[in-house]
Amino acid sequence: MNVTRALGVVALLAVVGASINALFLVPADVNQGDAQRIMYVHVPSAWLGYLSFGVTALAGIGYLWKRDLRLDAVAVAGAEIGVIFTAFAIWGGMMWGRPVWGVFWQWEDPRLTTTALLLALYLGYLLFRRLTDDPHRRAARAAVVGLIAAVDIPIVHFSVEWWRGLHQAPTIGSPDKVLNPSAPGLFVIALVSMVLAFTIAWTWLMIRRYQLARIEWQIEEHGRLGRISAARRAVEASTGVQGVDGVKEGA
Amino acid sequence: MQDLGFIVAGWGLILGGLAAYAGLLLRRLAVARAASLRIRRQAESVASPDHPA
Repeated sequence: MNVTRALGVVALLAVVGASINALFLVPADVNQGDAQRIMYVHVPSAWLGYLSFGVTALAGIGYLWKRDLRLDAVAVAGAEIGVIFTAFAIWGGMMWGRPVWGVFWQWEDPRLTTTALLLALYLGYLLFRRLTDDPHRRAARAAVVGLIAAVDIPIVHFSVEWWRGLHQAPTIGSPDKVLNPSAPGLFVIALVSMVLAFTIAWTWLMIRRYQLARIEWQIEEHGRLGRISAARRAVEASTGVQGVDGVKEGA
Repeated sequence: MQDLGFIVAGWGLILGGLAAYAGLLLRRLAVARAASLRIRRQAESVASPDHPA
């Protein structure tokens, strides 16, 4: 069994174990009741959304510096997986918000609105990547878009401290609350277990998505070279001149 | 368990979505690997001395 496959098995076991603990073993919250259990999937999803988009931004900077397409593969993996986890965080938040707040969504809330914007920005990033076939041009443009979109990450995180809204301040997310959380110990252990389990699953997904991006790039490059040589042959056939140089990349 | 519908919807979509995305990713990877292998074999057969020019 190779390392990535073993990591997948560990991720599966960790998610199943942490889920059983969070759903059936940890007691319900006194004020929020069982709806609070949704937090055990909402918070890890939100954290992994941040992490994924942070990785995309860093890989983008790395690409602009080194011009290495492997870093672009990391960036696209981060963006796609970040979109998935951010969508999960929004969904989990809505399912928790209805029984606890009384509403699924409130556009006036800065955390909710900036998170929706973050999702839209990275969906745009993924669509933007489809605008060009040239791998280096696409990687450079996407790196810039990814960096601009990343500006929203700290805005989302600190929105609960900067502005007033429905969303509560972090329970353990801020540095002063890591050692002194405002939730009971059992809840914190369940939450941290889910965060760890989801992070292992995220690592496995990132590796697999990176592998896919590399293979897709090789296939795309083969197709591009095939189109160039076909165009060259067509020009040679129509002009009767051998060794035509006029057909270049992007033709 | 109170608010069971919301808990099932919240957890179900997230864990189900995670499993579905992982499965889809493995499927995409298998398809891409097969296509890559086909291309490599084609390239090898073109490059081989037995291949008619």
